[in-house]
Amino acid sequence: MSKTFSAIWENAYGLLVDDGSLALGALAAVAITWLFAVIATAAFEQLGGGLLLVMICVLVLANLYTAGRRIRHTRSLE
Amino acid sequence: MDVVTLAVAATPSFIASSVEFVEALTIVLAVGTTRGWRAPLVGAALAALTLAVIVAVIGVALVTVVPRHVLQIVVGILLLLFGLRWLRKAILRHAGIVALHDEELIYQREVAELRAQGLRKNEWDWVGTVISYKSVLLEGLEVAFIVIAFGAGGASAMSAAIWGAIAAGVVVIGLGIALKQPLTQVPENTMKFGVGAMLTTFGVFWSAEGLGTEWPGDALSLFGILAIILAISWGSVRMLNAMLPSGAQVGARNV
Repeated sequence: MSKTFSAIWENAYGLLVDDGSLALGALAAVAITWLFAVIATAAFEQLGGGLLLVMICVLVLANLYTAGRRIRHTRSLE
Repeated sequence: MDVVTLAVAATPSFIASSVEFVEALTIVLAVGTTRGWRAPLVGAALAALTLAVIVAVIGVALVTVVPRHVLQIVVGILLLLFGLRWLRKAILRHAGIVALHDEELIYQREVAELRAQGLRKNEWDWVGTVISYKSVLLEGLEVAFIVIAFGAGGASAMSAAIWGAIAAGVVVIGLGIALKQPLTQVPENTMKFGVGAMLTTFGVFWSAEGLGTEWPGDALSLFGILAIILAISWGSVRMLNAMLPSGAQVGARNV
């Protein structure tokens, strides 16, 4: 039974997460957006979406830049 | 159904579901051509039935019972995670760091494995049924998720997303029956790039709207968000190409 649950969990996790830092970054971006919504409700209506979009774009670029650097470093050691 | 609903729910659902159906079709074809058609078709039908129940129960319950803004936040976060996973992999594939998805290679590998397992005459082919059921269910779960995500806007959007996925299934299965071989001509890797960008776009849109943002132009702003995500993705491919000109030769494993 535990094997079945473990397989279901692995499939569900694999469906959503490929790189842990990217997933955590996305969750952090939504959390920051939520904080902004709580702190500055009026401004959030106009700016909240743009803030989340910018954070997601920066996250993608940063994650891939880090991945690229990691690969380049690995290659330099070979 | 208005044009905007069709554009923002049915079309992305059709494109995203097509990719998943192509992958499921490859496995069912491999089982069918090596072990006979009865067992894999029964497996695929059982999986389709399971998926119909999942979409009917979860999808309809979500749209009708859960408050709209809560649904938008939950679906938005799941879409962000799901979409960013697709987008990252697609960018790495286009930069030559991860091998491109090759249906022909997957088909040949699956056929070789199935032939190696052998087949006993006069017995129900449980191996064929289970492999077919599992592959259709797993790919189909992604279709179910896509339908629920694109249909999160309400009953009309859910209906459009379901019809988009059904149309994708009919087209892909129809082509599979007609050609009797994996659909290698489908530009799957490019489609995956687009789907990753679309899922991420919807994730940003729903999450922010669920938290209280008013997007300029409402659903029409999706096109603007998509353009920005695509531009960033294209920029990421260029950045990786500049950092790693030898691309796939790097043979990276853990990126």
